[in-house]
Amino acid sequence: MTTGDSETGPQQQRPQEKRPAPGVSRRGFLLGSGAGVGVGAAASAVLWRPWVTGDPTAESPGRASGSAEAGRPVDSRGRHQAGVDRPQTPQANALFVIADVPKTSSTEVFEMLANLGEGIDSLTDPKGHLTEVLPDDPGDLVITVGIGPQLVSLIDPDLPGAEPLPEFGSDTELEISGGDVLLALYATDVTVLHSAAMHLLDLVPDASVRWVQAGHRGPGEGTVARNPFGYHDGVVVPRTDEELAENVWIQGGPAAGGTVCVLRRMSLDVSAFRALGPGAQDAVFGRHRDDGRPMSGGSPTDEVDLTARTETGDLTIPLRAHARAAHPSFTGSPLMLRRSYGFAEPDTLEEGMVFVCFQNDLEAFVRTQHRMDETDDLMNFVTTTASASFLILPGRTGDQPLGSSLRS
Amino acid sequence: MSWGGTRSAVRTLTAIVGVTALTALSSCSADPDTGDNEGGPQDDSARADATVYVPQDAETINDAVDLVEPGGLIVIGPGTYEESVLIDVEDVTVRGEDRNEVVIDGGGVRPFGISAIADGVSVENLTVTDHTFYGVLVTGLHDENGPAAHGGDGYSTFDPEDFPPVQRFRFDHITAYNNGLYGLYAFNAQQGTITESYASGHADSGIYVGQCQECWIDVSHNVAENNAVGFENANASELAGVRENRFTHNRVGMTFLSNYREAFHPQQANTVHGNLVGENAEPHSPAQAEGAFGVGIGIGAGTLNRFVNNRIENNPSSGVTLSSEEDLAPVGNRIAGNAFSTNGVDIANIAGARAPAADNCNTDAPSTEPDTDDDATLLPEDLFSSCSGTQPAIDPAELPQVEVPSGVSFRQIDPPPAQPTMQDEPAARELGEIAVTDDVAEVPGSDYLAERSRHGVP
Repeated sequence: MTTGDSETGPQQQRPQEKRPAPGVSRRGFLLGSGAGVGVGAAASAVLWRPWVTGDPTAESPGRASGSAEAGRPVDSRGRHQAGVDRPQTPQANALFVIADVPKTSSTEVFEMLANLGEGIDSLTDPKGHLTEVLPDDPGDLVITVGIGPQLVSLIDPDLPGAEPLPEFGSDTELEISGGDVLLALYATDVTVLHSAAMHLLDLVPDASVRWVQAGHRGPGEGTVARNPFGYHDGVVVPRTDEELAENVWIQGGPAAGGTVCVLRRMSLDVSAFRALGPGAQDAVFGRHRDDGRPMSGGSPTDEVDLTARTETGDLTIPLRAHARAAHPSFTGSPLMLRRSYGFAEPDTLEEGMVFVCFQNDLEAFVRTQHRMDETDDLMNFVTTTASASFLILPGRTGDQPLGSSLRS
Repeated sequence: MSWGGTRSAVRTLTAIVGVTALTALSSCSADPDTGDNEGGPQDDSARADATVYVPQDAETINDAVDLVEPGGLIVIGPGTYEESVLIDVEDVTVRGEDRNEVVIDGGGVRPFGISAIADGVSVENLTVTDHTFYGVLVTGLHDENGPAAHGGDGYSTFDPEDFPPVQRFRFDHITAYNNGLYGLYAFNAQQGTITESYASGHADSGIYVGQCQECWIDVSHNVAENNAVGFENANASELAGVRENRFTHNRVGMTFLSNYREAFHPQQANTVHGNLVGENAEPHSPAQAEGAFGVGIGIGAGTLNRFVNNRIENNPSSGVTLSSEEDLAPVGNRIAGNAFSTNGVDIANIAGARAPAADNCNTDAPSTEPDTDDDATLLPEDLFSSCSGTQPAIDPAELPQVEVPSGVSFRQIDPPPAQPTMQDEPAARELGEIAVTDDVAEVPGSDYLAERSRHGVP
């Protein structure tokens, strides 16, 4: 059962509204009381913006958005780097390059970042890009740069992102962890990614590539797309400027305007998952596969109601469902912005995804991953093979070199 | 973390409840004739103009709330009332004439029986049943903006600055049964009493107190049975006392929980004494959401509580379980002078490595310094080899295993036996603040409050 309909009964029994207590509307209370199950209830209309009705023309200026915008240039300049909240609908293709660099001083790090910033300009400026690298225009190519915990610590061990990820219970099969530099490249046109990445690596002669992964996203509007299991992903994420400020962007200090990114390369056992059958698959996610509506009821645009139960007391979103395990309310965490990409390796037939999330506090991810390792049935089908975290540098305005705000 | 630092929180209380027959206030009834209330249930001397009788003066209880003045009294005659009652008038007393014959019935569709959102409200001597959400609630969490304000949006707890706790309440001689989640329910409230009441057939808990600091709420002389959980405390600290109750024949007798989903974690500093907590393996009850069964007292990251002089017996999984909640740990709980018998294990620690139990202790008498109670069985056996520092744990799979029966619909639980009805004259209650004492109740017998239980004498 859920909370029932508060309009049944009270409204009929109580047409008059007389003498409410100061500042209290009785009708408001009654309307309110039925919708949330009292304490910490779900029913989040606020954070949801339906992807199915996304109107690109309604978006805030400066943010390319919606699949209608696919291919159009994305401004690389601004308070934040591109590739985190813009374009609003992630490009269909990604290439993640994680490299090590033997830097020994912050000066060397700043030099490298400045070179990379100029390199990004030379690749993405629609009016004057390097045609020897990209013969045609760069389209919606976006390159996001992050630096790993060791380089962050060289600059200042108190900066966000200086702390490495801890070892998780699900890390037993981890082949690669960490890395000094992240180059995350995104474009609708898959053919530009490799050339652009190679050009940027040339600008960092001492770099050695640690791991590389290509990824692809199915069609979708906003951050929502189906993952390799066939379920909608990226549904509950911060979207508005206010939500992004609260949950994603670092708010103060030299890294203000930046964010912390976690990348996890996950091998997915899609065959075993498929063998569960449709009902059991839904129970693993807590949503229905066909349209994404929660098992607690409602439409695809509704949040899961984590407190809803049947009359016999059983939870409608199962105890070990992914939607329950990953929900930030249990860990008191801010909301992560997720823009993950799937992959299928033609040589090994491995299926998987690059989990990508952004948050202003690494702990938001850490607490959630611990909880998932303990209570998420989805983890039975996931093997994490690579894992790393990066400080995504603040964006650039004017002639400022990339990373310059960290000089202090 | 030493117990001595929380001295103020280990006291118990007696509530100061003034009983005042209000005679000075004039009736707000539109029709002065109704104030005469011919055929009313009381003699003239006990009647006051401030009293509104249902159904004589007002057809429904909600109509009576519209009529009553602050500080007034509503007396409800025998009958079945199909309405959800909102009490938003301060210091009002709502009294049923006969506890068993005045029934607010949700018909399986209405969300709640009574919600009190004003300070100083008393609800007494009536029955609430068959609501989808809860029987009776008191809370300071309300506003005119609808659902977003009610319990937050699912991602953040409410801001106590915006919703100060409601002050002073009294739930007395209430029977709540077969409501969807909670029977008697108080959160974001302070300075109240929940006494002499009965709760059964609830899929969350019979009695629930949550989300308050310095709550000073007294929960005493109640019976809760055939619920998923008899009594639940989530993030409610400095309760005045949970004492001399009978919490038997639930799936779990009592819980003391800290969690991030609600305001005011961690839970701390309750004194729990003189309760009978037994036979909590009742199949005729709704399922506990996390599948718990056979547990007397669950301390889920509760901290700095005292469990003193309780009888904890015949709980086939464990008498007391210490566990963690995410990275919140059970810390500084003192278990003292309890009568344990025939539990699967008397005290077990299943806290996870991320939030290990620490500084908990079991002693053989409430007044002595930490000292192992030789009579209590422990898992692991060296759980209390030291009463300070991190303490060893077992894997939950190592607990005595019990088969968990399927849940029964909350609407299908058998109704409770008739409960004692109040004999004093109806009167408006003037509620004062809670006074505290250092008294600790004696260990109750196995037949404690059996006369009010459907399960009778064991």
